[in-house]
Amino acid sequence: MNLKDYQGIWVIAEQMAGCLNSVSFELLGKAQELKKQLQTPEPVTAVLVGKDVEELAPELGAYGAEEIIVVDHPGLELYQNQTYAEVLADLIKEKKPSILLMGATGIGQDLAPILGVKVNTGVAAHCVDLRINQDNNLVAVVPAFGGKVLGDILCPKHRPQMATLKPGVLGKPERNNQAHYTITKYDPAESLKKDAGRVKALGIYRQEVKGVPLEEAEIVVAGGWGMGSKENWQLLEELASLLGGAVGCTRPPVDEKWVEGEHQMIGTSGKTVRPKVYIGAAISGATHHVCGMKDSGLVISINKDPKAPIFEVSDIRIVGDAKTILSKLIEEIKKIRGNVN
Amino acid sequence: MQFFQFTEEQEMLRKAVREFVEAEIAPKAAEWDEKDYCPVELFPKMGEMGITGIFVPEQYGGAGLGHVERAICLEEISRHSAGLGIALMTHHLCVAGILYYGTEEQKQKYLPELAAGTKIGGLSVTEPGGGSDFMGQKSTGELKDGYWVLNGRKCFITNSHVADIDIWTVITGQDEKGRPVMTAFIIDPDTPGHTPGRKEHKLGLRGSVTGDVNCVEVKVAPGQMLGKEGAGAKIAMTTIQEVGRAGMSAINVGILRGCVEEGVKFANERIVYGKPIAKLQAIQFDIAETRLEYEAARLLTYRAAGMKDAGIPCATEFAMAKLYATEAACRAAKRIMDMMGGYGIINEYPIGRFLRDALASIPAGGTSHIQKLIIAGSTLSGK
Amino acid sequence: MSFNIAVCIKPVPDPSHYDKITIHPVNKTITREGIPTIINPVDKNAIEAALQVKEKWGGKVTVITMAPPSAEENLREALAMGADEAVLLTDRAFAGADTWATSYTLAQGLKKIGHFDLIFTGTESADGATSQVPAQLAQWLKIAHLWNVQQFKITNKEELQAQMKIENGYIEYALKLPALLAVSRECNKPRYTTIMGVMKAKKKPLITYTADDLDLNKDFIGLKGSPTQPGDIYTPELGRKGQELTGEVEEIVAQLIQKLRAAGLNLESWNACAVGRE
Repeated sequence: MNLKDYQGIWVIAEQMAGCLNSVSFELLGKAQELKKQLQTPEPVTAVLVGKDVEELAPELGAYGAEEIIVVDHPGLELYQNQTYAEVLADLIKEKKPSILLMGATGIGQDLAPILGVKVNTGVAAHCVDLRINQDNNLVAVVPAFGGKVLGDILCPKHRPQMATLKPGVLGKPERNNQAHYTITKYDPAESLKKDAGRVKALGIYRQEVKGVPLEEAEIVVAGGWGMGSKENWQLLEELASLLGGAVGCTRPPVDEKWVEGEHQMIGTSGKTVRPKVYIGAAISGATHHVCGMKDSGLVISINKDPKAPIFEVSDIRIVGDAKTILSKLIEEIKKIRGNVN
Repeated sequence: MQFFQFTEEQEMLRKAVREFVEAEIAPKAAEWDEKDYCPVELFPKMGEMGITGIFVPEQYGGAGLGHVERAICLEEISRHSAGLGIALMTHHLCVAGILYYGTEEQKQKYLPELAAGTKIGGLSVTEPGGGSDFMGQKSTGELKDGYWVLNGRKCFITNSHVADIDIWTVITGQDEKGRPVMTAFIIDPDTPGHTPGRKEHKLGLRGSVTGDVNCVEVKVAPGQMLGKEGAGAKIAMTTIQEVGRAGMSAINVGILRGCVEEGVKFANERIVYGKPIAKLQAIQFDIAETRLEYEAARLLTYRAAGMKDAGIPCATEFAMAKLYATEAACRAAKRIMDMMGGYGIINEYPIGRFLRDALASIPAGGTSHIQKLIIAGSTLSGK
Repeated sequence: MSFNIAVCIKPVPDPSHYDKITIHPVNKTITREGIPTIINPVDKNAIEAALQVKEKWGGKVTVITMAPPSAEENLREALAMGADEAVLLTDRAFAGADTWATSYTLAQGLKKIGHFDLIFTGTESADGATSQVPAQLAQWLKIAHLWNVQQFKITNKEELQAQMKIENGYIEYALKLPALLAVSRECNKPRYTTIMGVMKAKKKPLITYTADDLDLNKDFIGLKGSPTQPGDIYTPELGRKGQELTGEVEEIVAQLIQKLRAAGLNLESWNACAVGRE
């Protein structure tokens, strides 16, 4: 393998039912950053695979793709791992990108490792950051042990250097409506012939995420006595449901019957949680609650009392009224959602 | 001298039981205690696990293991619920009675369901006038028209209201010296006249039922007799000595481990003056003493259980294990409770329950004074 | 009809102790002292799936791992759950393998044992969590696979149907056997290991293969054969910085949203419109 033959940064855009996954925009933003870090800048290309997807190409252009390779075919309507892998593997072998990025989504996490074996290269999984080092190689920052440790992963002797990136970590770049880009069409017919048809998609279905169990939730929104009323308590429920998290509490909300039963209680006499993000609203932070949440990832606390003990174990302190802050936060998140849809 | 060590299988077994206990028992233990509810629905689950029939041979549907393994199960369960521990240990008394003294027919009739946990066992010996005063029992059995007719009242009987299969000891006559002859019978489920009576409201070991069991003109067939006529005293004594006290020892080893683990957890988590109290030497002394008591109780208990499995008489060893483990559990629970300050007396923390369970363990299977008499007796006689 | 089933498991440090993991300041290696090694939690769902298939259709369940010799204990536990045979691939030459080399080694191990109709794995491991081995293993074996399977149903000896979980929904597939399914936690509830199971486990076969026992390309195994290479490791800044957000409510919330994003939350909800077909 002559590494010099491989040029360019690719982003495999992910779409479903005519909608682009926002991780694709994040990837393009990162690809543009990597481009600047390379010794000689290489073009940023997005690959768009599906059926009737060409109309989505300009959107990718607006977020940083200089070239968009559109692979449009009726046989690519629904994601089928073997089918997609045959097509992309051929495309990679033909065009030889140096870096290939995908979202660590349900589909990306399935497709990327298959490509790794098919084109004989390494894949860094669910990275939280990427950079180019002094040897002009890609360095992927990968979490392990539930985020307790971060490690750099390199792929020095194989190309393309592949990585999947955790959605939502980097944030979307600015949209540029004046961006210049080219669209190239690629006919996958030959590749599709290679697919033995061992995996056939039958249909795609929506599934409501039913209340995430507290101990398993990646995001926990917890409230204490200071929430004041059952009505205010609804703010926690709403925020948790917006974030796909679970609601936790201290003892008083159970006694006040704002929450039913003790199963949502966090602490020595309740559950121990280790979410990636813990938001504590109007919780003072007595030991028996703190014991149940102290190993959480990011701890955000909102309390009126600047001396509340919870602040001692918090990453982010907000001294203020929980009701006001939460209402505003919910409003803003809804606005962000509105822009995308 | 061989180094004291569990086998690889015993370690695996402990891990398997622990996983079961942490999922099925630990989350509910406090509720059972508060409501004084005996979780009978867990018996079939413990049956599937192999716990209810742990020392029952495989041919009768058991796991085919011994009393060391039984002690492991009881320790693991009682780490979280000593109440369920004593319900299970009493079930085992019934199992042991039938296994060690029953006829082949009785074993085949009763052991499979007892091992599977689909039937719960009981052993009714104690009476208002005779507990440790064993021969002071007043219940009677008379042979009439080819049936034994049992009458009497038993009290402080664990599993009184939940047992399906109950072993009774009754006086069936007098020997030539005028001493009472005691005989044991197995009473089937729903036998007319055999009914639970008063239910006790206990300090500890709640989650097990303790109460009266009455027999009023209960007719049982001669085939229900366990062992020979007159064997009742021996059956009850050996079962209580070597299975009952073993059970109480293991239960309190479980409570002791609970004290160690809850104590460590609290000492590490409780911050006073900016650091965990575990950094304070006074607290470390508490932890050290508790750990030592746990280890000592454990050694005594498992050594005695090992002797039982090896067929060596071990009544004195179990008396020592029972005495030490229960008294140590009382001390340890009190010590850790003190260490926890105000939190110690709040029922959201299990330590108060541990103390109540340890205290309630003292009379079960003979009080501490009785154990001392047994130990002294065998020691003074040079055994 | 019966199935020859393999389950790939991975011994991992118990995730409930990950707060104790540290990086050795000098050697720059991960210290996991005092943390018990357990069967990767979701791999138990894979074992359960295999046992259920065996119980319904008949067949045999072989559990396999590539791990240090101490993994025997974890394999024994899998046998105690009900697997029939266990295979341990262990060799110093396998050490340091990335997912590419690991999946290659596992594939060669499975080929050595025989032909399998069905292979189960968990979706991801608790430690590395790359979730790449299942797909790559299927590639080496050239068989169909699905990842993140929340439910499956065997239709007949040649085919099965399965649901692959995606964001806010699932895609349903038909797969031709032989096939590999990486199952998620929703797929089933793993059974308890019973005492009888523990006793039976000691009599079941547990075979160990080293690199020499397998038909391997030595350039494809271990750290040397891995396309990805580890660089530095470090602990993320997890110390409670205790930063205070100040200003008007709008300013505070704007900063808060930045912090949530930085923590990996996906505030955009493309999913809401992505899954249209019912």
